[in-house]
Amino acid sequence: MKKRWLIPVGLGLLGFVLAEVPGVVEGNYAQGPLGLILQPAPAKPGEGTVYRVGAYPLYTSELADGEGKELVMSYCAICHSVTYITMQPPLADWKPTVTKMLKTYGGEKFIPPDVAEKILAYLQAHYTPETRKE
Amino acid sequence: MKQVDRRRLLKLLGAGGLALAARPALAQTAAQAEEALPSFTGPKANPYWNGVHPYTVYPQKLPLLRMTDRPIQLETPRHYFRTVFTPNEAFYVRYHLDEIPNEIDLSKWRLKLEGNFERPVELSLEELIRRFKPVSIAAVNQCSGNSRSRFQPRVTGGQWGNGAMGNALWTGVRLKDLLDYAGVKPGTVQIQFEGLERGKGPENLGSGRFLKSLDLNDPVIGETILAYLMNGEPLPMLNGFPLRLVVPGKFATYWLKHVTWIRALTEEDKNFWMASAYRIPDTPNGSTTPEDVAAGRVKTVPIGKVNMPVRSFIIDPDGSYPLIAGLPAKIRGIAFSGYGRVVRVEVSTDGGQTWRRATLGADYGPYSFRTYEFTWRPERPGTYVLAVRATDEKGNVQPDSGVWNPGGYLWNKIERQEVVVLAAK
Repeated sequence: MKKRWLIPVGLGLLGFVLAEVPGVVEGNYAQGPLGLILQPAPAKPGEGTVYRVGAYPLYTSELADGEGKELVMSYCAICHSVTYITMQPPLADWKPTVTKMLKTYGGEKFIPPDVAEKILAYLQAHYTPETRKE
Repeated sequence: MKQVDRRRLLKLLGAGGLALAARPALAQTAAQAEEALPSFTGPKANPYWNGVHPYTVYPQKLPLLRMTDRPIQLETPRHYFRTVFTPNEAFYVRYHLDEIPNEIDLSKWRLKLEGNFERPVELSLEELIRRFKPVSIAAVNQCSGNSRSRFQPRVTGGQWGNGAMGNALWTGVRLKDLLDYAGVKPGTVQIQFEGLERGKGPENLGSGRFLKSLDLNDPVIGETILAYLMNGEPLPMLNGFPLRLVVPGKFATYWLKHVTWIRALTEEDKNFWMASAYRIPDTPNGSTTPEDVAAGRVKTVPIGKVNMPVRSFIIDPDGSYPLIAGLPAKIRGIAFSGYGRVVRVEVSTDGGQTWRRATLGADYGPYSFRTYEFTWRPERPGTYVLAVRATDEKGNVQPDSGVWNPGGYLWNKIERQEVVVLAAK
């Protein structure tokens, strides 16, 4: 086998090269998500009888920009993160869900009716099959 | 190096059970895609094995798929189901409310038996470990809404793929032993369980407390245990440390985490989590239609009235890499049923038209996962659709149709996996 010492390694950085053998593609790289997952933190010892795991991390998703976004972020997030909204499939009608939150789960204790209406309008404007973008 | 006869080697590899042919369970073999998955699916069904959630890290866990972060819901990635027992650090997590323990002082924590008992008692974890005979059972814990993202039309709720399940060897105290210890008084109809989970909502609603009850005359009471070990180790905090309920064959909504109160009730539990939530249509397979629901024609029962329907899953190949014509490919996965042992797993390589029996792995009891393996040697290149179908000892066979109900429960349709076979010339 012929050794090709003269091919510089740096070529990979300029995009991939066509290799000697037809049909073989080499040296193709793409940026990986470095640092998104961290190593585990060392445990903090408890006081002899305390089993402790530390704070739970939040990984809350971004909401679409638009009127009512801040209301959703402050009122809905009393009980749950807004990740619950982005996790749903796009819903044609958010009213049953909003009603369930207000009545069944008692959200009306925290959320005034006019705010609830603005929240519903925001959800319809960004999270239906027609309006959802991300 | 000693020459190995190629035919003999291929035969050996095809026979299975060879360590060198097995993949490590804890390897993520799916390619890191250059483009991220979509951040949501719908209105069509989710086409992926798992839900489309990002990988994130949590205490005592490997990177898992974050469905929601408060309350915490984490899905187990597909490749962790290569083994019959799901590793604790990969086991899925599902909470309903956001106030869950970060720390528990075992000098203060007690399991309290109260209500209609002869002698209400409080027991420390040490007393539970020392005073009662430990028993072990292998059992699948599966969320009622596992695979909800397959529903058509889509329903609201946690958009799980297939990873809201796990199998573990649970060790702990028989519920029956505890009930006998406290003495259940006549007139008791249900046993209620409550853990440490709390929410910001009003106390009398589902958003404030989480409680579940089992009928005292339900045979499952005799099989239920309060587990303090999971796969031989203390439970991870997110899986219910120090003590959780294990209700073999039943959906996980009954498997309360951080169990702290056991109550003997003289009246049926009417709390939200029994009376309103986790209810299924009272129909043969829990299926109904949006029209019948809208018309108010659907009578419902708590999901605890049924056991988990029979299911099976293709874990390998996962479609992320091609197979090679003429070389053996191992089709592997797991199967289980809440009604008893899986006695047959069949594999199809033509999308479900013809079926052949797979080899079953070791039997860990009626409530455990059972692994299966089938060696397939595709001869011609092209695109193939694999399918898998399980049958349990009661004769239940997986259907090839999806169920539909508003809660998104009881999914057990035959699973399929598209694979590409390359020509080797």
